[in-house]
Amino acid sequence: MAFVVVENVSKTYSDQESGIGVPVLRAVSTEIAEGEFVSLMGPSGSGKSTLLTILGAMNHPSQGRLLIDGIDVYALSDERRADFRSQYLGFVFQQHHLMPYLNAIENVMLPLATLSMASLEKRRRGLDVLEKVGLAEKAKRLPNQLSGGEQGRLAIARALVNDPPLVLADEPTGTLDTKTGDEIMRVFLDLNARGQTIFMVTHNPENASLAHRVLHIRDGELELATDSRARTASRFSPAI
Amino acid sequence: MRISTIALANLRRRKGKAVFLMSGIGIGIGTAVALLSLSGSLRDEIGSQLDRFGANIVVTPHSDSLALDYGGISVAGVSFDQHQLSDADVAGISRIRYRKRLSVVAPKLIGTTEVDGRKTLLAGVDFNSELRLKKWWRLTGRPPESPTDVLLGYEIARAVSAIQAVPGSVANADRATSHHAAMPEEIRVTKEKVSLGGREHRISGVIGQTGGPEDRMVFAQLGQVQGLLGRPGQLSVIEVSALCKDCPVEDIVAQIKQELPHANVSAIQQSVRARAEAVDRLSRFSLVVSAVVLAIGALMVFTTMMGAVVERTKEIGVLRAIGFRKTHIIRSLMIEVVIISAAGGVGGWLAGLLAGRLALPYFTEGGAQMELRLSLAVFAVAVAMGTGIISSIYPVLRASRLDPSEAVRYV
Ligand SMILES: Nc1ncnc2c1ncn2[C@@H]1O[C@H](COP(=O)(O)OP(=O)(O)O)[C@@H](O)[C@H]1O
Ligand SMILES: [Mg+2]
Repeated sequence: MAFVVVENVSKTYSDQESGIGVPVLRAVSTEIAEGEFVSLMGPSGSGKSTLLTILGAMNHPSQGRLLIDGIDVYALSDERRADFRSQYLGFVFQQHHLMPYLNAIENVMLPLATLSMASLEKRRRGLDVLEKVGLAEKAKRLPNQLSGGEQGRLAIARALVNDPPLVLADEPTGTLDTKTGDEIMRVFLDLNARGQTIFMVTHNPENASLAHRVLHIRDGELELATDSRARTASRFSPAI
Repeated sequence: MRISTIALANLRRRKGKAVFLMSGIGIGIGTAVALLSLSGSLRDEIGSQLDRFGANIVVTPHSDSLALDYGGISVAGVSFDQHQLSDADVAGISRIRYRKRLSVVAPKLIGTTEVDGRKTLLAGVDFNSELRLKKWWRLTGRPPESPTDVLLGYEIARAVSAIQAVPGSVANADRATSHHAAMPEEIRVTKEKVSLGGREHRISGVIGQTGGPEDRMVFAQLGQVQGLLGRPGQLSVIEVSALCKDCPVEDIVAQIKQELPHANVSAIQQSVRARAEAVDRLSRFSLVVSAVVLAIGALMVFTTMMGAVVERTKEIGVLRAIGFRKTHIIRSLMIEVVIISAAGGVGGWLAGLLAGRLALPYFTEGGAQMELRLSLAVFAVAVAMGTGIISSIYPVLRASRLDPSEAVRYV
């Protein structure tokens, strides 16, 4: 069985004013293998973020099942699902959502705060991932003392610190210019090259095509998947 | 990096809000502490005033015969009583339910005798309790020990030429400022013996001038006087002091009456009691005012915390998304609340003590002390934390229930 199995997932939000159900996802099914890099594209409002938060074990689908590592995620209680997120998932949000009052290393260690682990070990892990994204020298900086690209890399470092089997990223380059967007993509590709499973929502077709597989979503339904892996044709050198 | 790290970082970041909350709780606690410690001190002062006034319950025999006067209390005439008080009645008093609240039970037999040929009031007392009751007596000499030892009142002592003034002692500047109206004169006892009803007794001491009836009295041991007067086992009056601050004097009176149905039992209603009542009212008022101020503080905490939850929706959502449980969110926020309210409690306690101390002279006749009561500090901090925690429960629970997928949504 694939590492991630999305089985006939539907999601209907109830409209806040009328209370009428608005279907956002309709019977979505797909699979993600271990070590795979999958990107998801689609117009704004098509349900990309909804699918990502469902994969992220924090948005209960109206119908269908999500299996990750064989675990029926939404059969877990709310608190157990929090533990599941802590063990299995790393999130990179569109706006990065860094804590402005914590410095870089503290932001990175945030997912470890609830774990019973020696504080030295937490720090060591934090420095490790900062190293991975090339921010080891800026561990003491506050987020607003970092460039946009550095903030993005910091957000990725935070998503990696708990060593998650699956990294979920929602438009990680969405607010960045092309150059800094490339900086972020470089990190993702590097991670994936070392075996990290990644699911990324993006608006940018070029970035999407860097993944092994691109999913397209329209009006809450997945269109046929393209097997792209056009990385060699991209502006990235294979040296990464 | 622990959950407390996040709480502390949040406090540091939102210093203004933290200080605002702290002062909200602090003002409430400070008000309570100031008022409570003030009324506590007033209560203490009244307690010691009651102490100075001596007996507050007097037991006398039922009698319609001629009365002798003793300290403003009618003492039944000696010979015509139907219902005498006796030593057994002292035992009766010590059997009442509130016996633990009685600090002194002082039985007395009063009669007349001749002192060196002068007709004088003679009181037989139990010196042990009598001297505890008459704290204002200034003895020159020693308390009587043997049955033939006597204490002389000031005027009797003068009349029988038993004392001399110590020269130059009167103009004592320190004493002149004390609040005793009659400035005590230093005296020397110059006579050893005196005759009491024809029998020789030793003068063990002289009571300094009080301006009261004891100036014209002689005091000897109860058993001795009962023998001298030929009235063994009899008493004329029992003075009882129930000196605890919140004594239920009326109940004690009722209990003694029940135990001694043949006796008159009356409480001496002093102006002190009126003051005690006023202090009671002040304490009740303090409690109400403190409760109101605390409630306002609680409301402040509530609204501020509700605001904080809205303000931190994203942040809390992110924490939930990266694996914080609801209980972790609750813990993190509660750590903030506990720190803020504990600090508010300590600050309020200090401020309240200071305010109370500054206000104390306006409420007392001087001499009242404000004790540092540990219990009040513990109470202040506990109430502060209780207020903070209770008024944060709802906002914090609400925060923990935020839907992370919605909170992190980019709209
Ligand atoms: N929590 C929610 N409640 C109600 N409607 C929502 C909620 N989240 C998303 N939607 C709606 O669902 C649709 C899909 O949203 P989303 O998944 O964020 O799309 P995308 O990420 O592709 O832009 C949008 O119309 C959005 O308004
Ligand atoms: Mg989106």
